[in-house]
Amino acid sequence: MQGQSRSNLYLGLLCVAFALLLIFIWIPLDTKTGIVEKARGKFVIGDALAPTVAAGFILLGGLVVSVFERKVADQPTISRTQVKFVASLTALVIVGLAIMRFVGPAAVEIANLFRAEPMEYRLLRATPGWKHIGFFLGGAIMVAGLVSVVERKLTRRAVLTGIITAVVLIAVFDLPFEDLLLPPNGDV
Amino acid sequence: MDILGYIWLGVQAVFLGPEAFSILGMSISITVMMVLSGFLFGIVVGATPGLAGPFAMAISLPILISVFGYSPDALLPVLGFLIGIMKGATIGGAVPAILFNTPGTPDAFMTTLDGFPMAQKGQAKKALRVAHFSSASGDTFSDIVLFVCAPFLAIIVESYLDLPEKTGLLILSLSFIAAVIGGSAGKGLISIGLGLLAVYVGTGEDFYPRLSMGADGLSRGFPITTAVLGVLIIGAVFKELEEAWRETGQNRPAKVPTQSGDQKLHWPDIKRLFPFIARSAFIGTAIGALPGVGSTLAATLGYSVGRARHQKTKAADAPSFGDGTPEGIAATEAANSAVSGANLIPVLSLGIPGNAAAVFLILAAESIGGFNPGPAVFRFSPDVVNPELVIAFGLFTCMTIANLFNWTIGGVFMRSMGFMINIPKTLLLPAVLLLTLTAIYVQETRLEAIWFALGFGVLGYVMRVLTISPLPFVIAFILGRSLEETARQAYSATGNDPFFLFNNPIALIFILMSVAVIIFAGRKPKGTAP
Repeated sequence: MQGQSRSNLYLGLLCVAFALLLIFIWIPLDTKTGIVEKARGKFVIGDALAPTVAAGFILLGGLVVSVFERKVADQPTISRTQVKFVASLTALVIVGLAIMRFVGPAAVEIANLFRAEPMEYRLLRATPGWKHIGFFLGGAIMVAGLVSVVERKLTRRAVLTGIITAVVLIAVFDLPFEDLLLPPNGDV
Repeated sequence: MDILGYIWLGVQAVFLGPEAFSILGMSISITVMMVLSGFLFGIVVGATPGLAGPFAMAISLPILISVFGYSPDALLPVLGFLIGIMKGATIGGAVPAILFNTPGTPDAFMTTLDGFPMAQKGQAKKALRVAHFSSASGDTFSDIVLFVCAPFLAIIVESYLDLPEKTGLLILSLSFIAAVIGGSAGKGLISIGLGLLAVYVGTGEDFYPRLSMGADGLSRGFPITTAVLGVLIIGAVFKELEEAWRETGQNRPAKVPTQSGDQKLHWPDIKRLFPFIARSAFIGTAIGALPGVGSTLAATLGYSVGRARHQKTKAADAPSFGDGTPEGIAATEAANSAVSGANLIPVLSLGIPGNAAAVFLILAAESIGGFNPGPAVFRFSPDVVNPELVIAFGLFTCMTIANLFNWTIGGVFMRSMGFMINIPKTLLLPAVLLLTLTAIYVQETRLEAIWFALGFGVLGYVMRVLTISPLPFVIAFILGRSLEETARQAYSATGNDPFFLFNNPIALIFILMSVAVIIFAGRKPKGTAP
């Protein structure tokens, strides 16, 4: 049994530590009523009880995993490659969302350089074209990027998939419904 | 109003609801069309490796709510569509399992064992017919059990269980789900604890939103869509993408061998398969009625029992289970399909979701409003019409309609879906991810929700890597508030008795059962999560 993973032990101990942190530090410091409170002359359940029960589940689970399941066969491992891979996926999504958020207002600012009367993105977020710029670019880049990472190369097919996905989603969510807002138009 | 009156109102709500179109003067209601669309969409999704029913339900829900709005009239069309997906995906999953040895949905894995060898022997169409017949039979049986059991169970719960017992029942359900999902009681408890913790952030009765760390974003709590779609869908997409990334460059040719011989399912075949179907349908229904016990276990158990029986009864020259026998497909498909209807027994009678599909039905009901699955739904009020009960019987009608579609057009449509294997996961999954993020945004209209969902997605991915099932997390997130609310009410109702769970015999039994189920499951860790 060479190289048997001990991930259950580490996971269990991590959960126990997190649960103790919750019970003794986070919950007491971040709730205004205790486990039981006296209100209007009678005792009522306070806001700290439910999170403490949640922490109790995590503590119990951590103990079971680290004590009774620490030697089970085929324990999972998290490899460095997996961490890198999911970090790159998350980073790509964040980049896509950032483009979505800022490209529309940035495009308006650039357009303002050539106009006598400046425009404001906030007032244009219901205008076809302007309201789609951010979602289209951010969405297409996000999808194309994810496809490229998974396929380990940037292909025309990946770019096309990104463009088609963004266009289809605009057609599904935006064109038929006047009251729906695509990202980021509810925030700007 | 008596029970027959309610059933009739439920049927009318489906058939006499808003009209989609009319044929020769006969009105076809929108709800019927939504059940049909959901069913066909479900088959397509089920037949696409990498996607599954919950994906389709997750991405459809915001679009459906946008189309139908938040009025009570929206309930049946939306829930009908989701039920259609649930049923369609179950049979669709067998298509790539049989044709390409790739299960379309996780519960179709056992179907590959005999389905693929049959296809290799040139009997693919027959294998698909067996899978469809068995699946539709198991599903129909399960639905009938649901229609009969759910109202009775709900009436018993309402009659005999008071607030302390209901609190005990919720704790028992969470413990049971922790113990049975994923094969590790400890990891199940961790998943439940994290789900409860997440739902308690930013909530509570005090003016200060608890556990919010003073942050404005956390003070409103995590929206249910971000937690459910994040952990269940985005986490699954990340995991699937990782697997696709590992498989890059190892594409297998998708080829079906030339088909030969009689591909039809004849009456003697059905007679031979019937005992296997009946046994598995019963197993699947019994397992499905328990919250949290999934269709994968039902399929495995149905297959094992079928194999034991087949070994004793088969002719000497007949193929064994695993060598491409129709009985193997029948035993698996009847069992995993029988789970779907029975899984709604705890949802409708207790308000406790038992699987991912049930989670989305509850999410839809909660988003639209006017229908709160739980024992109160089955209150047969004689004087005033209980609209929730009408919806419940409307749902049963939708399930019956979906079954009719399954028996009539399901087989033909399913057999035409073999080409879905050719859609590469590497292109499909990033598109699903963007679709999910967009769906979350259009419902919540703030980028914060997307960040939360992304965070929950990473959590869902890590949970999957560590073989912690994310389903207990989601179920705990859904039940968390009602657990706290019921406990608060029980505490007040018992005169502030801090031991209300232990001074009431039924509640005490539930608590003892909760402890027992964890101890029993903890003694047999099986190592891997689905």
